[in-house]
Amino acid sequence: MDANIYKNKKPLILFLFPAFVFMAVYLYYPFFKNILDSFMQIKQLGVSGEEFNTPWYTNYVEMIHDQNVWTSLKNTLIMMVVTLVGQVGIALILALMVDNITKGAKLFRTLYFFPIVVSATALGLLFNLIFLYDKGMLNQFLEVLGRKTLIDWKGEHLALFTMMLPVMWQYVGFYFVIIITGLNNIPEELYEAASIDGATKLQRIRYITLPMAHNVLCTCAVLAVTGALKVFDLPWIMFPKGMPLKSTFLTGTYMYYQTMEVKNVDYGAALAVMIVILGVVLSKVVNTIFKEKDY
Amino acid sequence: MKLKKITALLLTCTMAFSMAACGSKKEVATETKGAGSTTGSVELEVVTTFAGNDGNAQNYKASYEAWERETGNTVVDMSATSDDSFKTRVVTDFETGSEPDVLFFFNGADANDFIKAGKVISIEDIRAEYPEYASNMDDGRIPASMVDDKAYAVPVNGYWEAMFVNTEVLDAAGVEVPGADYTWDAFLADCEKIKDAGYTPIAAALGNIPHYWWEFAIFNHTTVEDHLTVPASIEDEIGKGWVAGMEDIKSLYESGYFPDNTLSATDDETFAMFVDGKAAFLIDGSWKVGGIVSACQSDPDDAATLDTDKLANFDVTYVPGSDTRKATDLIGGLSMGYYITKKAWDDPAKREAAVSFVSYMTSDEVVPIFAQHTASALKNAPEVDEEAFNALQIKAMSMMAGCTSLTGAVQDVFNGECRVSTFDGMPEIVTGNVSAADAVQEGLDVYAAQ
Repeated sequence: MDANIYKNKKPLILFLFPAFVFMAVYLYYPFFKNILDSFMQIKQLGVSGEEFNTPWYTNYVEMIHDQNVWTSLKNTLIMMVVTLVGQVGIALILALMVDNITKGAKLFRTLYFFPIVVSATALGLLFNLIFLYDKGMLNQFLEVLGRKTLIDWKGEHLALFTMMLPVMWQYVGFYFVIIITGLNNIPEELYEAASIDGATKLQRIRYITLPMAHNVLCTCAVLAVTGALKVFDLPWIMFPKGMPLKSTFLTGTYMYYQTMEVKNVDYGAALAVMIVILGVVLSKVVNTIFKEKDY
Repeated sequence: MKLKKITALLLTCTMAFSMAACGSKKEVATETKGAGSTTGSVELEVVTTFAGNDGNAQNYKASYEAWERETGNTVVDMSATSDDSFKTRVVTDFETGSEPDVLFFFNGADANDFIKAGKVISIEDIRAEYPEYASNMDDGRIPASMVDDKAYAVPVNGYWEAMFVNTEVLDAAGVEVPGADYTWDAFLADCEKIKDAGYTPIAAALGNIPHYWWEFAIFNHTTVEDHLTVPASIEDEIGKGWVAGMEDIKSLYESGYFPDNTLSATDDETFAMFVDGKAAFLIDGSWKVGGIVSACQSDPDDAATLDTDKLANFDVTYVPGSDTRKATDLIGGLSMGYYITKKAWDDPAKREAAVSFVSYMTSDEVVPIFAQHTASALKNAPEVDEEAFNALQIKAMSMMAGCTSLTGAVQDVFNGECRVSTFDGMPEIVTGNVSAADAVQEGLDVYAAQ
């Protein structure tokens, strides 16, 4: 009789149901409605589509011919590389250095993690002031160093760099904390044994730290690549409407632009479908490449 | 095992209680509202654009509070700064049936959807029951809806668009403050002088807000009579004018008259250049008078901190004209007004309060407070006491006194997606990535499809 309580799973359904309803209403219904909307004609926010596009797949054909889609895809791929190399790479270097110091490790953890707790909107505004053309912090600094002309950091030639630098900087601390936690789990005995065998610090990193931190690095890589697909707020604050010359669009910002600014809601819905497909495919690819190993 | 059962029961009860609590909370709220109604005071939901940095935000608050004291009713103020998200919010509210009782909103194409849906009441219908409603207004000056040619919104303050100048920069470049006979050629010559003197002639962020230049560049190739006509294609006369207008902006860009970072700057940045004495000309609306005055105050919120010497460096004048448009022909009008929604009209308690509120806010006493140096539709506009205004406001009044015509903005008719190719696409046009003709035609095609 007593064992029946383990077999009777009905109460579990009762507890799972509210969460399921919540997900169904706020995630699954909008998701499938969005797919349907991508085939409809919707030219105003808050208005339901009443008829299908002619032909119904118009938006998907338009997407192929839309130069801004290709720009946003290219920029998103660059963003992925930047997050991989810039965020995970720098985080690894910082973690290796902090792991080798005995005093102040906690201080560095806090310092590097701090940007994560600041909202991306606030960071966007902050970096807007840093990169401001006239009286911006960076240009004033260069002026003090003797530069006579102002640099347009948000101009056509430097826009991508200016956009990606703060994004990279913001999340370094996040990966730093993950990696350093992984490094702390590597048994000290291995390093001691290597030292006795005469291994240098670089050799210890090459032959002990990196192989032992492989799985943590893989997790970081997957998070970085999938995270790059979702970057939105900071680039939008700094470069609204893909400024300048629509050269800074990411997939997310371009979808938002089409939906909220242009009010081409059905096309925005089609872009959202593309982002989902891209996310699923890339996650699969990244998971395959950065497969975790069993030791 | 009994313990597990009891725990499960407790959890179930907690969940049930939480849900019940949510439900009962709603009931309490409803009861409170009902109780409020029975006391005779009406709660009126009002949405306006008198919020944030709007120059009339404080006037609005003071006015509705005075109405509240007078009537015993309450205003639930849901005002927000006028921008695209505000417009979207209003449209969405009407779509979802959560519109306010009274709305201060645009009377152009932005209002078409809810007027078509019959969700606001026309002035004519209101007057059938309240003959005195907006009777202090000159009906001929109340703009009619584009949907059915009926007037819905009772206007308060008008707007104008003109050219602000930084006289300090003009003096340094040896350029006179332009007057009523300012021509495009004279403007180009002045720009060259200003540029040679090391200043930026025009403060404008073409990649962010090209709207004002877009409007006047087109106006310079159309006439007062046909400016509000959207061309069928770039081949007709008006269409050619639109293309020529875009070409003019391109020519200004190529001559280096805009800021170096005009394609990547925000409007705030270029405005700061103008205020800081780095740029000479700024085309903007009447609302910018307040912005310039604020920039001349050490505390933007405290008028007592105004630096009058700094403000004396600013003037407002006419936008250079052309063969078809005199410099004194300006863009402007009464583009917004108070609507009473059907939702409030159908509620017997709110109908009276809504009419009373709009009548109060559009009375002969309140309108001049809002209108200041702009136009109004009052039949008997009171004499202006110049002592109540600052130097720039007085210059604005003087400029408006010489205005020969006020025409609405064609971008209010040509709005939405059709503007994208020439608004957001302005950087592509001026850099030559897209031809002006192609960009204009693309917009016209979208307009035709709408």
